[in-house]
Amino acid sequence: MYGWNGRILRVNLTTGETSVEEVDPRMARDFIGGRGWAIRYLYDEMDPQVDPLSPENKLVFATGPLTATPVPTGNRYMVVTKSPLTGALSCSNSGGFFPTEMKRTGFDLFIFEGRAERPVYLWVNDDRVEIRPADHVWGRTVFETEDMLRAETDPRARVACIGPAGERLAPIAAILNEKHRAAARSGVGAVMGSKNLKAVVVRGTRRVPLAHPKELKALADQVVEEVKQAVAAGKATLRTYGTAYVPPVTNEVGILPTYNFRTGVFAGAEAISGRTLNQKYLIRPKACYGCPIACGRVTRVEDPVFGGEGEGPEYETIGSLGSACGVDNLAAITKANYICNELGLDTISAGVTIACAMEMYELGLIPESDIGRPLRFGDGEAVVEMVRLAGLREGFGDLIAQGSYRLASHYGHPEYSMSAKKQEFPAYDPRGAKGMGLLYATSNIGASHMAGDTAYMEVFGVPKKVDPLSWEDKPRLVKYFEDIFTIIDAAGLCVFLSIRYLFEPTYNVEPVRISRLMEYATGAGYDEETLLKAGERVYNLERMFLVRAGFSRADDTLPPRMLHEPMPEGPAKGHVVELDRMLPEYYRLRGWDENGVPTPEKRAELGLP
Amino acid sequence: MKIRIKLLAHYQQYLPPDCSSSSYETEVPPDARVEDVLAGLPVPLEESVVLVNGRTPQPGQVLREGDVLCLFPAIGGG
Repeated sequence: MYGWNGRILRVNLTTGETSVEEVDPRMARDFIGGRGWAIRYLYDEMDPQVDPLSPENKLVFATGPLTATPVPTGNRYMVVTKSPLTGALSCSNSGGFFPTEMKRTGFDLFIFEGRAERPVYLWVNDDRVEIRPADHVWGRTVFETEDMLRAETDPRARVACIGPAGERLAPIAAILNEKHRAAARSGVGAVMGSKNLKAVVVRGTRRVPLAHPKELKALADQVVEEVKQAVAAGKATLRTYGTAYVPPVTNEVGILPTYNFRTGVFAGAEAISGRTLNQKYLIRPKACYGCPIACGRVTRVEDPVFGGEGEGPEYETIGSLGSACGVDNLAAITKANYICNELGLDTISAGVTIACAMEMYELGLIPESDIGRPLRFGDGEAVVEMVRLAGLREGFGDLIAQGSYRLASHYGHPEYSMSAKKQEFPAYDPRGAKGMGLLYATSNIGASHMAGDTAYMEVFGVPKKVDPLSWEDKPRLVKYFEDIFTIIDAAGLCVFLSIRYLFEPTYNVEPVRISRLMEYATGAGYDEETLLKAGERVYNLERMFLVRAGFSRADDTLPPRMLHEPMPEGPAKGHVVELDRMLPEYYRLRGWDENGVPTPEKRAELGLP
Repeated sequence: MKIRIKLLAHYQQYLPPDCSSSSYETEVPPDARVEDVLAGLPVPLEESVVLVNGRTPQPGQVLREGDVLCLFPAIGGG
């Protein structure tokens, strides 16, 4: 096979046995790779109703056919499993250098099954596979674990691991690689913890075989050249500011989450922007493997209370640990980000859960004696203390670590949880970007911007601007973006570059270049049509996993605030999400019945069981 | 009449040298259209998102006293 290695590594943690399996070429082509292959294995092998933290759940690390190729940003992997936060699917995504190194071991996927009796880590050095004891790193932070495991394996090895939050089965625990890059969402870290799997360490030296290497290199070089020209022309927003350039933009359109999504307008937007970050804390930009963009931030905060050094914050972190909590102190936000990385927490879910607790505290719904301190909007020191307690599951942090839905339900008011399928919203108030509302409600992984970020067109004008406040055109847009994000994920690429350079800059966003790159890499017969069909196939199989797990139309919904409380101010003033009007049309376009279930006709069209 | 021009992300390089915030006030003729004002800005319009008071303007939209005309590059990400 080309593009793909064509081999998966299966690791049974209960028995300590590992095995290598060949991949069926037809399955490889039809499900693309990465997230697509992962759901194919999970759907075929696992009962979707299992307890996510039981040995019966399976955990898949998945690279794609363009991971570790010369295609720029071919540096992603996906963590796919049943989520302990949502009970639905997790498809969490990370870049950096671990994914490339993993693909170069000669395996496309690692599938973890069962549960180890004692803490272990997996060490894969090309073909040599070992399950090693991890008692000495259990209880250690992400940063300590990474350093210790590289020292005892290979200094060139790459590490993905969990921190105390994952060990303690926090439903908002992340998996970190290179200390600061996170497959963050849906509690994937807790699934690793439940298997007593502390870390995965990889060292790979194999080159990925390519079907048409010259053609692939030529197109990849052309894309890199276009990015470089944009940078040279002074258009390097993501390199200059990171995604932290976004708060003033979303604030301008009135969708920057503020005070637990009570409003989308935040007076402190400029104080938490990329410009402030550059003036005060940025050391240098940082790129993932093979990336000409370099949106990563290496930062240092010199401050008696919030001092530290690390990476971040990203926009999503600023919106959740910052404005959603009413915090305009960028030092506090950055410090909270460092702690999330160190202890292994998802910054989005942590921030939005703290925001939920702040609102409920201020309304008198959570007694101060439960928290152990006041917890008011705007208190950056409280945010920092809450993430620390959540990462260790100590005191009130034990409730924060379970996410906003469980926390709010514990006090009898789940309506204050800004979540869909129990997963916290990313940093776009959907009342002012209706596509995001439909996306959050219908996503197979709960609320997420990574599931099909229509804010690209609604807010950022990429590749074309559409009106964020209209709902009539959004069912089609959401379906299409879900399918093309599935393709990008499954291929092993980063959305930032792909949307702007590998699709056509039209309202139809045709997958012209990405389908050519897929064909040059694999030689499997991809064109635009077959690739789009494959994306749709993967998305539908994921949906069928949810159906078998017990999800239905009732779960494709949003908190009452988004449906019934009009945005109080700003450009989106007076707006709610017209979900009832969008959902039937979305199901119809998907080929799903009125309960959100793929019809037999749609399944037959896609070749699904 | 007076309106505000707001420039975000790397368009802040086009702000007047003495401007310490993201926006500045400017005088435009009464009934000036959005397109008229944009034509006088040193910003690559074909790659820009344009907003008036946070909303997408209609073609030919006439500006009013106190409007905020905001531009930022079409980039994406978050």
